[in-house]
Amino acid sequence: MKKLLVLVSILALLFSVSACKKKVTVTPPPPPPVEEKPKAEPEKVPTIKEPELTEEEIFRMKSLEELNRESPLQRIHFDFDKYFIRDDMKPILEKNAEWLKKFPSVKILIEGHCDERGTEEYNMALGEKRAKSTMNYLISLGISPEKIKIISYGKSRPLDPGHNEEAWALNRRADFVIIEK
Amino acid sequence: MKNRRIKMRKNERFFWKLIILLFLAFVITEILNSQQEVIIKIREGVSLIPVAIPEFIIKNKDDLTADCAKIIHRTLWEDLEFSRVFSLVPRDLYPAIPSSGKINFKDWKDLQANIIVTGEVESPAEGRISFTVKAWDAKSGGYIFGKSYGGKAEEARTIAHRVADQMMMNFGEKPLFTSKIVFVSDRDGNMEIYMMDWDGYNQIRLTFNNVVDTLPSISPDKKIVAYTSYRKLNPDLYLYNIFEGKNVALFTGGLNYSADFSHDGKKIAFVSSRDGNAEIYIANVDGTNLKRITFNPAIDTSPSWSPSGREIAFTSDRSGSPQIYIMDSDGANVRRLSFEGTYNDSPAWSPDGDRIAYVSRINNSFDIYVYNLRNNTVTKLTEEAGRNENPSWSPDGRHIVFASNRSGSYQIYIVDYDGSNLRRLTNSGNNKMPKWSKG
Repeated sequence: MKKLLVLVSILALLFSVSACKKKVTVTPPPPPPVEEKPKAEPEKVPTIKEPELTEEEIFRMKSLEELNRESPLQRIHFDFDKYFIRDDMKPILEKNAEWLKKFPSVKILIEGHCDERGTEEYNMALGEKRAKSTMNYLISLGISPEKIKIISYGKSRPLDPGHNEEAWALNRRADFVIIEK
Repeated sequence: MKNRRIKMRKNERFFWKLIILLFLAFVITEILNSQQEVIIKIREGVSLIPVAIPEFIIKNKDDLTADCAKIIHRTLWEDLEFSRVFSLVPRDLYPAIPSSGKINFKDWKDLQANIIVTGEVESPAEGRISFTVKAWDAKSGGYIFGKSYGGKAEEARTIAHRVADQMMMNFGEKPLFTSKIVFVSDRDGNMEIYMMDWDGYNQIRLTFNNVVDTLPSISPDKKIVAYTSYRKLNPDLYLYNIFEGKNVALFTGGLNYSADFSHDGKKIAFVSSRDGNAEIYIANVDGTNLKRITFNPAIDTSPSWSPSGREIAFTSDRSGSPQIYIMDSDGANVRRLSFEGTYNDSPAWSPDGDRIAYVSRINNSFDIYVYNLRNNTVTKLTEEAGRNENPSWSPDGRHIVFASNRSGSYQIYIVDYDGSNLRRLTNSGNNKMPKWSKG
């Protein structure tokens, strides 16, 4: 009898243990370690580096309107009732001449302008004198006269419609317009 | 020996006869030439001719005819009041007019009127009016002139202007009421050429583009407008026949601007820099016979013909600053006229030949001056209220049109030769560079 009891209890124990075992949530086996794949690099193909556009090529791509909007040629200003080229304007003209020499096919129009303080007629002529002396200075820097056309707007196209010294000084000017590439 | 002496005497007599004949021929041509000049004398100190204009008789009793009658009456009244030739006797002094329309001159004797102007308005067809005017000598009852006009109802003002012109002509005066003023306005966005009646009515636009159109001038027959346009990216001188619609770039190449028509309408003087710098040229109005008449590295500009066509006033800075000069129309005999001030421009030769109006700049203000060629005196016409520019004479020489910014914006004004009766003609935008037709 005793032996039987021991056997049954051992069996019961075994069963309970196994049952317990069964009650434990079966944790799934840990997933296999993720293989850290190296970042997908594009295939190492030799990159085609576009050659840098030369200034000449960039220039050719732009339209006249675009060119003029960028104002590669800077305007210059004049003293009241005068049309000589001021010393402080000469460096600007020198830079303009350099640009023109870089693009020898370019033709420009120099517009002469005046401030409002003269008559319409006299200012037409004064504006022309300003355009002319600007042209002559560029010619003296080696620009061919065939590349330059001049006109005058007198006082009909002020940059600044004001009636003070600042406005007037701004309006007394020669403007550059690229008319041919 | 005796025979030879007799022969010699005969030759001598013939010789002297020839001299006398040549001298007479010379004198006669001189007299004839001087008669070609238009002699309009401004009657200073002569009292105005008093005129009475009773209400017009209206034949059709409809609104259109009644309105037109009012417009014609009012316009005629204002024209004659403006003339500096006539004065208008106030209406409240008039006696009644019998319904027959026949004036009883005895009733009008005490009125102090020299002239009585009567009129009849009727509408002969839909939208059309006809106006019959008669002018009478009030003292004698004598008939001076009568005329009939017909047109569309919208032309009522023009009819009145024609009557006013007829009044002027009957009294030996140059007509001006159908004259036109061309000018520049930016009211529609950019500088364009406009035209209006002498009194500011009927302002119409003549150019339609996006570029600068400037410095207009009008022919004496009012059919052609000369102006400078940048439509081909260069200031070219265009001649626009506004009735035929032909708009032609007559002078291109260099800058071309500041045109003035001769008083006989046959020639045009203008400025061109085609030969390198601003010089004055003359040509026929069709562009032929181009002649350069100034030869100077200075700026020569603003030509203005004398009424005889024999001389041209202009501006030159050959002395160092812009001054007024006169030369013969072939460029010879250049004489300087202005010696005061450092900036004188815009000469305008009066139609009587005696005076040249011009502007003088002091600091930033411009004023109009009138140089009297008869006695070499200068009168100042405007009083430093800002900038007063571009003077131009009326056809009879009693009034000047000019541009001024005295109101804050540029507007066009007219003023009498003695500075009185200033009147503003424009209101919208900025209006400049007026030129009064010579007829």
